[in-house]
Amino acid sequence: MGKITDRYAIVGVGESERSKNSGKSPLHMALDAARAALNDAGLQATDIDGFMSYNENDSCTSHQLATYLGVRPKYVKDIMGGGSSTEMLISDAVALIEAGELNSVLIFRSMNGRSGVRMGGGGWDVNMLQTAIDGGSFIIPYGAGGPAQWFGMFATRHMHETGITQEHLGHVCTSFYEHAQRNPKAFFHGKPLTIEEYKATPYLSYPFNKHDFCLESDEANAIIVTSAERAKDCKSRPVYIMGLSSRQCHPHTHYWSDLSQVASDYVAPEVYKSAGVKPEDIQVASIYDCYSWVVLRQLEAFGFAPRGEVGNFVAEGNLRMGGKLPTNTAGGMLSEGYTHGMNNVLEIVRQLRHEYRESDRQVKDCEVGICTGWAGPDIAGAMILRN
Amino acid sequence: MKETTMTYLKPIPVKTPDNSPYWDAADRHELVLQKCESCKEYLHPPGPSCAKCGSPAVSWEEIGNDIQGTIYSYVISHRPFLPGFQDDLPLIIAQVELDKVPEVKIMANVLDCDYEKIQIGMPVKMIWQDLPEGRSLPQWKPIDA
Repeated sequence: MGKITDRYAIVGVGESERSKNSGKSPLHMALDAARAALNDAGLQATDIDGFMSYNENDSCTSHQLATYLGVRPKYVKDIMGGGSSTEMLISDAVALIEAGELNSVLIFRSMNGRSGVRMGGGGWDVNMLQTAIDGGSFIIPYGAGGPAQWFGMFATRHMHETGITQEHLGHVCTSFYEHAQRNPKAFFHGKPLTIEEYKATPYLSYPFNKHDFCLESDEANAIIVTSAERAKDCKSRPVYIMGLSSRQCHPHTHYWSDLSQVASDYVAPEVYKSAGVKPEDIQVASIYDCYSWVVLRQLEAFGFAPRGEVGNFVAEGNLRMGGKLPTNTAGGMLSEGYTHGMNNVLEIVRQLRHEYRESDRQVKDCEVGICTGWAGPDIAGAMILRN
Repeated sequence: MKETTMTYLKPIPVKTPDNSPYWDAADRHELVLQKCESCKEYLHPPGPSCAKCGSPAVSWEEIGNDIQGTIYSYVISHRPFLPGFQDDLPLIIAQVELDKVPEVKIMANVLDCDYEKIQIGMPVKMIWQDLPEGRSLPQWKPIDA
């Protein structure tokens, strides 16, 4: 599709209520988020001709959403996917707009992630899991049934090789919890965390304690992508897409045989090349944070600190407001809420619009930001945005 | 055996056309590994073709039953993340690098090991944990224990 830098923009973002028990269907929440995003952009539902979403068999379809918005769209697309799917669907949306098929695309994720199907497991049929996960019978009989263990296996090895300590994981958590204290909508608003409290928390799945895990929440998020030309007609301040690397696999299909590399290592050079910027040009970040360690490993992959120095980078407060790379400034999935990556997208869009100006939530004068996705060590995504 | 059947509540490896040589061998207390005829790499977990080069020419190699290795990485579960493990906590789950084939890492539990003593680099040997109905599960045990 050629160079797309600055030719497409995110023009609307919106969310439903965030709760632990929505009492609503994923479709109802998706409608709330979609209407909020349309209102934000100043668009009518009928201006949208493409709807896309990702799910883990826990959501509604794009077709249903369009139907109940009263739209008869040209194109709907639902994929099975996790935490790097936003970037991939944005790539698809840009390609379809570029091809002249569509004008504007609404991308959403809706899930009763706490009261319904929980990512953290529970209620899974173990024989189904063995066949659903590639190589599942080599991990499930040993009790390795969830991401805490799969990513933890990578974390323990990485910590051993690079000198990252438990306390460094804690600095990721305390930095994000600090941001949540400025965000009244964050689940952990009013629940700050000190490094001493973090260190005194018992392990749930070593090397992780409960603070290293993301929250589970009931919520829907939506974003609207359109061309830079159409963005001029929207009421919001557009946030331009400088570059994307939608998805690239770790070279080993059976990823737990090789703990030394992750898909982010492959996505990083592509996204910088695509955007034409370097890590030092990035002023604000949304780094996928299903677990604290995942943030550290991505900071390394995306070049924010050299291998071996990522621990010091976070201990020095660089993820906090006023640091070199204010990250997950709404609290992230560790302390704001969890919509499989999308709430971090909403936040970086709002930061780059300077929506929080006059408040201590705003990263001062930020122009360029990065948003990363992690669906596992084998799949990642990233995009670089500017105001 | 009947008693074991009633008390073993954890998942038992599901055999598939792609993995059954591995689990059939485990039931005989032997380790076999899949190898790619084209790129000569060992493949673990096994699959329908080589996950490294894509070649469909894959075969099986017997490694025997005297298997030693070193802990490459690990996690320690203090909560059960799957049913059946509630009485085994804290549970050590480890990736072990095989001495004979270092490029292969095999995940299993480390049994008979104080979870506070586990560390990367620790030597372990493979043992065979018998399950109901003639099934068997490769596991690890510290060499000193």
